[in-house]
Amino acid sequence: MVLIVIMSLLQEVGYNSIRRESQVDVLFLDRDCDSLGIKIRNGLASSGFFNLIDSLERKPVTEASIRNAVRKGDFVIGIVIPRGVTKKIRNNVRIMVAKTMSGFGLYNHSIFGDMPLSTADTVTIFFDPTVKKSFKNSIVSAVKQYNYRIESEMVFSTFNHEMAKVFPTYHPPDLSYKDAVEFKEVFPTFRENEAIPDTAQHNVPAWAVFAMFFIIIPLTSSMIVEREEGSMFRLIAMPVSYIQLLMAKVFVYMLVCFVQTILMILAGLYILPMFGAPALILGDHILALIVITIFTALAALGFGVMVGTVANTHQQAAAFGAVSIIIMAALGGLWVPMYLMAPVMQHVSSLSPLNWALNGYYDILVRDGGFLEILPKIIKLALFFISTILITSIYWKFNNPMNK
Amino acid sequence: MSVNPIIEISDLTKTYKGSEEPAVNNISLEIFPKEIFGLLGPNGAGKTTTISILCGLFRSSTGSVKIVGLNIESELSRIKHIIGVVPQDLALYPTLTALENLTFFGNMYGLRGQLLRDRIFDRLTVFGLEKVARKKINTFSGGMKRRINLIAGLLHQPKVLFLDEPTVGIDVQSRVVILEYLRRINSEGTTIIYTSHYMEEAEHLCSRVAIVDRGKIIAIGNPKDPLKRRR
Repeated sequence: MVLIVIMSLLQEVGYNSIRRESQVDVLFLDRDCDSLGIKIRNGLASSGFFNLIDSLERKPVTEASIRNAVRKGDFVIGIVIPRGVTKKIRNNVRIMVAKTMSGFGLYNHSIFGDMPLSTADTVTIFFDPTVKKSFKNSIVSAVKQYNYRIESEMVFSTFNHEMAKVFPTYHPPDLSYKDAVEFKEVFPTFRENEAIPDTAQHNVPAWAVFAMFFIIIPLTSSMIVEREEGSMFRLIAMPVSYIQLLMAKVFVYMLVCFVQTILMILAGLYILPMFGAPALILGDHILALIVITIFTALAALGFGVMVGTVANTHQQAAAFGAVSIIIMAALGGLWVPMYLMAPVMQHVSSLSPLNWALNGYYDILVRDGGFLEILPKIIKLALFFISTILITSIYWKFNNPMNK
Repeated sequence: MSVNPIIEISDLTKTYKGSEEPAVNNISLEIFPKEIFGLLGPNGAGKTTTISILCGLFRSSTGSVKIVGLNIESELSRIKHIIGVVPQDLALYPTLTALENLTFFGNMYGLRGQLLRDRIFDRLTVFGLEKVARKKINTFSGGMKRRINLIAGLLHQPKVLFLDEPTVGIDVQSRVVILEYLRRINSEGTTIIYTSHYMEEAEHLCSRVAIVDRGKIIAIGNPKDPLKRRR
């Protein structure tokens, strides 16, 4: 539970940068103080993703101070809107409108036809070199978009203005522009009522799966203690098979797995929000959640009894058990989400039973899936359990004390 | 004796993997119902290996064993219901109480509910342990642990009871209690096969003993005169 809280809080910033929820501080110098500067300032501020800062150490920012602050890594972005840029846009728009109207014979073409447009001015955006290219592109695109919007608004307003001058009866229409195309962001889920993955939805199932598999340590330890202290000697003299003994262990340890999973879910529901992290959203598929927990526990316990049977000493069991679980957890995307891995590692990741389990939980908690969606993962986990029990049986058949 | 033997051992040999010398070397033996049969000998003589084969814990290299007419190789699961085993090591869970240990082992023999509870408290009373039933095994003395170890092998009232040095390293009082109880269950019909270092103990308890050395029976007969039937 402590791991869930700590890891969620540690990852919160990283996850939020992916989910674009945290505000990025942006140094902003508006020398234009006109439409474009205002548009960019308001646009960035109203997006909710940026916190615009126009003074450093109680002094207004300058281009040099912005460059210096970004170079030192104190800020990742700095934007400088040059003086008179809006005026240039306005001027160019006027010329373009006049040229268009002269084409209709409304203006003297000889005056406007060859009038040159002003050279482009430069909006400077300073980026910290560590900023990801995708993030950089999105900022540049946003600024460009504000520029296009300003230009198009100016074209319409100038055109209307000129038309009104030429035709006194012309009444300019309402120019409040409404986007003809809207963009809807959809995170594909099995149901349209989507939930976006967050630190709780990753960390709670990830650490629950890890804890279930890490039960290999006490499980193998108890099996070796039984052999060392002689209890196993009595048990195999009793009218029960070795597999029956193992299944009894699996049953008991499954209860332990359930209890620890419930505690972790409760931590996700109630403790994480206390620290400012998002609360876990359980969704509607509680039965599917129970089923995936059962099969995850079975896979973990099957692996545990296999290691407990094969290992001869505590050292062997602890070393192999712990290392194998840590490797499988790392490969399985428990520590680093699979989508952040390199393509090759994503392929390798899909071979880890911890990954199957985690994806099963993701199906339920993140993708809002039910039993049908988790069925492939359940089948894989069940096959893994059966395989481990078969290996254990075969190993025991040829290596039990009866065959000394 | 004219009755059929309850245990028949024929040419039994056991050589451990990687060992050249057999731990049990061509033993043949018959044990009859209601006997208390002692296997005596020094450490490493092959007593524990023999008793482990008879309990089905080790597989013999050659030879055959029958218990109540059942072949140990092919009918081990049926034999396990009939026999009781008290191993030399304390085969108990030290962090559980005496009651929890005995309940667990009783359950493993299919005993449940009041019947099991009555049997546990009956045996605990006989062995003077009823007051410590709810104490953890790791707080017990060596003698107390030995008594619990014995009770765990007796709860299902086996026809044949194997004991591997049940009195080793315990106080006189515990030894007396254990031996008295063994006599009692023997008089009630339990056949007992028992290994020990103590000749004196065997003389008092056993109807017959076999002296084992280097895997072979070197003498068998009445404990008052163990060497009269050299083999």
